[in-house]
Amino acid sequence: MRYEYLTGNIAIAEASITAGLKFYAGYPITPTSDIFEYLAKELPKHGGHVIQFEDEIASINAVIGASWACAKSMTATSGPGFSLMLEALSLAVITETPLVVAYVMRTGPSTGVPTRSGQYDVLQSTYGFHGGLVIPVLAPSTPQEAYDLTIRAFNISEMLRTPVVLLSDAVIAHTYGKVAIRERSEVDLIDRTKPSVPPDAYKPYDPVNGLVPPMACFGEGYNVLVESLTHDERGYYAPRTDVQRRLMWRLYKKIVENSGKLFDYSSTYLDDCDYALVSYGSTALTANVAAKLLREKGYRACSVKLKTLFPVYEDGIVNLLRGVKKVFVVENNLGLYYRELRGVIRDKEVVSVPLIDLDVPLPQEVVEVIKEWL
Amino acid sequence: MAVGHPLDPYLRTDRIPTMWCPGCGLGVVLGTLLRAIDRRIKEGLLKREHIAFVGGIGCTARMTLYPLFDSAHVIHGRAIPFALAVKVVKPEMKMIVVGGDGDIAAIGGNHILHAIRRNADILVVMVNNMIYGMTGGQLAPTTPRGLYTTTTPYGNPEKEINMVKLAAALGANYVARGSITHPHLLEQVFYKALVKQGLAFIEVLSTCPEIFGRHIGLRNPVDLYTELKKRVVVKTKPSVDESDYDWEKGFVIGEFVEKDEPGYIEIYRKYISKAFGGGEE
Amino acid sequence: MRLEILIAGRGGQGILLLGHILGRAIAKHTNLHILGSEIYAAETRGGDSRVDLVVADREEDADFIKVMRADIALFMHQLQLDAYRDLVRDGAVVFLDKSNVSSVPQRNWRIYLEPYTDIAEKEIGTSRVANLVALGHIVKVTSIVPPGAIEDVIKEVVSKEWVDINIKAFRYFTQR
Repeated sequence: MRYEYLTGNIAIAEASITAGLKFYAGYPITPTSDIFEYLAKELPKHGGHVIQFEDEIASINAVIGASWACAKSMTATSGPGFSLMLEALSLAVITETPLVVAYVMRTGPSTGVPTRSGQYDVLQSTYGFHGGLVIPVLAPSTPQEAYDLTIRAFNISEMLRTPVVLLSDAVIAHTYGKVAIRERSEVDLIDRTKPSVPPDAYKPYDPVNGLVPPMACFGEGYNVLVESLTHDERGYYAPRTDVQRRLMWRLYKKIVENSGKLFDYSSTYLDDCDYALVSYGSTALTANVAAKLLREKGYRACSVKLKTLFPVYEDGIVNLLRGVKKVFVVENNLGLYYRELRGVIRDKEVVSVPLIDLDVPLPQEVVEVIKEWL
Repeated sequence: MAVGHPLDPYLRTDRIPTMWCPGCGLGVVLGTLLRAIDRRIKEGLLKREHIAFVGGIGCTARMTLYPLFDSAHVIHGRAIPFALAVKVVKPEMKMIVVGGDGDIAAIGGNHILHAIRRNADILVVMVNNMIYGMTGGQLAPTTPRGLYTTTTPYGNPEKEINMVKLAAALGANYVARGSITHPHLLEQVFYKALVKQGLAFIEVLSTCPEIFGRHIGLRNPVDLYTELKKRVVVKTKPSVDESDYDWEKGFVIGEFVEKDEPGYIEIYRKYISKAFGGGEE
Repeated sequence: MRLEILIAGRGGQGILLLGHILGRAIAKHTNLHILGSEIYAAETRGGDSRVDLVVADREEDADFIKVMRADIALFMHQLQLDAYRDLVRDGAVVFLDKSNVSSVPQRNWRIYLEPYTDIAEKEIGTSRVANLVALGHIVKVTSIVPPGAIEDVIKEVVSKEWVDINIKAFRYFTQR
């Protein structure tokens, strides 16, 4: 392990190398291009490949292809690029393709303010693609978390054969911090389960006894089928309600039934708290300091930073906040994740604290808003 | 047990019959392609576990459902980036992209353009039936000008795309046009293209009696086949300037470009090994 | 221990490099934790340049990326001093480049007023290293990081032909 002074973006790139990234495809976009540029220089030293494609659509489809060639694969983008990638993310979901998308949010809608921040795309990151399923979404708020959660994103993608979104933003992208960089031998890395049966008995979408099918790759003689159509366990197109039901429920359950395993958070003063400031990403820094300021003023406030945004671990969140009187959801948008929590927390008041700030919102502003509600 | 077809070892026989309509030209394309693959495997120049089919969406892309190789039936227009990525990670693979004129030349236009520019090591087979078949007869960029389609009910005002010229202009190593009306020639261009490095682009003129035939008044498969055959002009080593694509004047088929420029993978690996002294993991 | 450090000046004064060297030295060569952010105008020269650092001995106290009540501040120009002086708390240690600051506010600060730019130009040979002269002064007065750590980082991040002159500039105060 060694310490470095890195931005959130470079921490993501470093972590992807630690996690065993072997293929990166991308298209330049602010504020993510330095992830791309860093990997273009560094990844080939580790036997990996970095290619600039003609657009984000090609990039994500290439990432899917590379994953089926056994390579751990990633792309990074921002709102306009992620919007272009949505159709292919749907393909990655139905074909159960492990991959990681580092989504560095910037101010929107549309071109917005490309260099500045916001959290407007938090719901899009998991609900944006067609097909009504859930992609796991992890949200760091510091360079160290960007590093740690990137490795976790790869592990989840391999463990559950799913795309995973690492949801950062323009603030974290360019925030510097002390980052503990670990050697590969110092981290737990998960690789996809390979088939244990001979090729003629292999079914690419048969979960055997669990929910996640073993995955063979191209070039190994398994006659793999990557199928975008509704398919049975063999990968054969099967336009039938029973097959659709079986597939949908399995794809849903393999993510949602692992909510507890995927859940990650941190908190301050939670064991002595009336007013919880729940937040995520760069705004979690704001909420955390705001909670401290409120405590200085004599309020029993605390902060809860959610590092896993999706799937929503409903029981876990309810349990976490059971001793709290009131929940404030602090975010740099019009109150989007608030809608998720409002649906989950029914036994107490949940208040949205929607902030719109091109930069990290200042804690004093949050304090001013929340004081009205205490 | 009935006597099998000689190509059965290359097919997922439990998925036959195919979903293609009677009289569709795609069976000829698949048959000739598999025969060419069989010859190359028997020559020891291709390994069956290293062959992969990738298709987007459309009747042609469904060709990925039947051969017994690694296959990917992905999303509309995006087979090429998928295939190129597999090739980059596993250069031993022979990547075959199969797509219709809509899949390759319309929605996938940006990707074919850049794949050719890169001389990406992919065999692209674009089966051109001059119409959107699967979705029921809408305009394709290859539809003859003037034709009435479901989305040009007053006649197609647009000029047709000549993909042979485009592929040649952007520097593909191998550019040919074949026709399902000439299966032996078609098999021969597949046979050649299968061992080409760089990008090999093959346009295959094909028949869609169900949809295109209906539009043009030749609903009977034999009539459409005969009509297409009449309009196909076979030339030996024609120049790109001779690559006429015109329903009225005819369609020239043959091998327009045959070069041996280094493919993308070779050049890419050369740069990497130059930087790292051959030091790939 | 929790310290907020504000470094500000005009584009072209080497503010970002100064902040990066200081931040990197703290992160890599001390047990302290740190978060930091940069602001710079789109134009390379003339606009605002600002580095905010939050340094703490406990990880949970390195908790924000913007200075709200700076404990240590460096202003390399009057414009940024006027713009950001309210971010500096009473009792703070404040370094001012006398070469570019004419009006010092009446505040309850511990002020160090030195002509960093003139020193760089006359004693070191180029005004371009005024930033490192100032950094040397900060390190000398605050002892926030060992001078050797800064010199190691200079060797890591500054291009070869500029290393010696940057170290010379840095040592102007540290080796007095």
